[in-house]
Amino acid sequence: MGMKGLTWDDIEGRVDRVGAAVLHAAGNVRRFYEMMVAILSVGLRLRWLARPAVVNVVIRQLYFTGVQSVPWVLVIALAAGVLAVYNIVIFAKSVEDLSLIGRLVSGLLAQEMAPLLVTIFLLARSGVAVVTEIGTMHVRGEDVVLRSLGISVNEYLFWPRVMAFTLCGLILTFVFLLVSIWFGGMVVAWSYELNLIDYFIEVRRGTTLDEIGFLLAKGTLYPMLCGIMLLSQGCRVGRDPNLIPVRATHGVLGSLMLVVLVDVLLVLVKEIL
Amino acid sequence: MSDTLHWRELELGFATIPAASVKRGEYIRLVMDIQYQMDFMVHVFPNRDVSGGPDASWQMWLETDTASYQVGTSEFSCRVGSIIRQRGLLANLSLRENLLLPFMYRLDQQALKKATREVEEVADWLGVTSVLDERAGERSSYTHALVSLGRCMLAKPAMIIAQESHIGMSPERLTHFRGLGRQALKTLGSGLVYLTATEHEGSGLSFSRTLTVDSGREMLAFRNLDQKDLPDIGEVEDSK
Repeated sequence: MGMKGLTWDDIEGRVDRVGAAVLHAAGNVRRFYEMMVAILSVGLRLRWLARPAVVNVVIRQLYFTGVQSVPWVLVIALAAGVLAVYNIVIFAKSVEDLSLIGRLVSGLLAQEMAPLLVTIFLLARSGVAVVTEIGTMHVRGEDVVLRSLGISVNEYLFWPRVMAFTLCGLILTFVFLLVSIWFGGMVVAWSYELNLIDYFIEVRRGTTLDEIGFLLAKGTLYPMLCGIMLLSQGCRVGRDPNLIPVRATHGVLGSLMLVVLVDVLLVLVKEIL
Repeated sequence: MSDTLHWRELELGFATIPAASVKRGEYIRLVMDIQYQMDFMVHVFPNRDVSGGPDASWQMWLETDTASYQVGTSEFSCRVGSIIRQRGLLANLSLRENLLLPFMYRLDQQALKKATREVEEVADWLGVTSVLDERAGERSSYTHALVSLGRCMLAKPAMIIAQESHIGMSPERLTHFRGLGRQALKTLGSGLVYLTATEHEGSGLSFSRTLTVDSGREMLAFRNLDQKDLPDIGEVEDSK
């Protein structure tokens, strides 16, 4: 019915719009990829280690993103992580299969919950700050200052933030996991659900080397991709301060969508392998 | 020391900046719209993270007795200073860190040690000693210009590119900054390329050449002043 009134011009117009949207998305992906390659290549060259200016920024970013986040991650781990462990033990006992404890702790808590929760926490805590800071620097023209001094923006501004996100994300993921498993076990033992030694034996038995590898990959990849997404949005503020909140929202939501997409892709890859 | 800055003709939209050379100790003024000034700056200080820059075929280079340094290289950045209006500071660094920033970025430890030793003296000369370790935050054009000038004093560049650095200052500060600027140029002996929208830019400097770039196709006025008619460096030009 609706198609009846459509003319060729309408159809062409719609096709044009779809094509433009696809090209726009492809352009964004290309820009993101180029930015990622540029930042990683300048960072992994390690020349920044000999530059006190960059090292200072790295230390500040590590402190801001990592050290200041530790108490919050501990709170989240003690609340969400311990609760998850407790529920896993209760469930395993209810179906009378204690081997589920290890498999669920490894498969659910370690591989899905920990990297995702830590990434979401980093986004909530530092995501808006990164976009706002980079956006404000563009509005103030500080990128021009850096260029006039012969300083690489990728090396001085972007690499420290990406590195801080990646390294701190990985470490905080392990902190989250250790606290969840340890204190979860203590709560389980304290409530007489399961002996602490038996609990740790089951956790150890359910954990394989492959799963630790996946945890490492996710714990590194998710925060790194988020960091780059936030920076790319910060750069798009240009000289218009009104765009800072818009780009901050895009940065945080875009990062979340990206992480979910990569998570699905990793699951598919794992299934294929 | 026969350092000379050269550049080829540069097409900027409907304007053309002609090829020119500026010797060490020579001051020239480029009069053009603000947009062309910014475009020119983008060419002089290209993004080092992007290969090729805005116009890879355009050339600017600093020729010294021993070598020639192309625009976009770190060697060029070490030898060409800048004073850009309202673009002299990073807000989240202290003034001391701002002054030392290029030295802390370079791989030359000797230059960093020397600059660290001299920074107090330069800060004293600029009159910013009391706020040297304060976070820069939002500052006036005057402070941006002072810090840029301080960096030039520390780096001792062969050439300085200044862009409307005297605009937006109160009369007292403008007078003070003029004095400091003249003193710095005299001490350093650097050449100067001054980008401005008007000949009455208020720098108080005497320029050996003024190139007026019109937004039309032609390079309209290219006025060469006879050197012997020039006033001494200390004389202040009427800024109207």
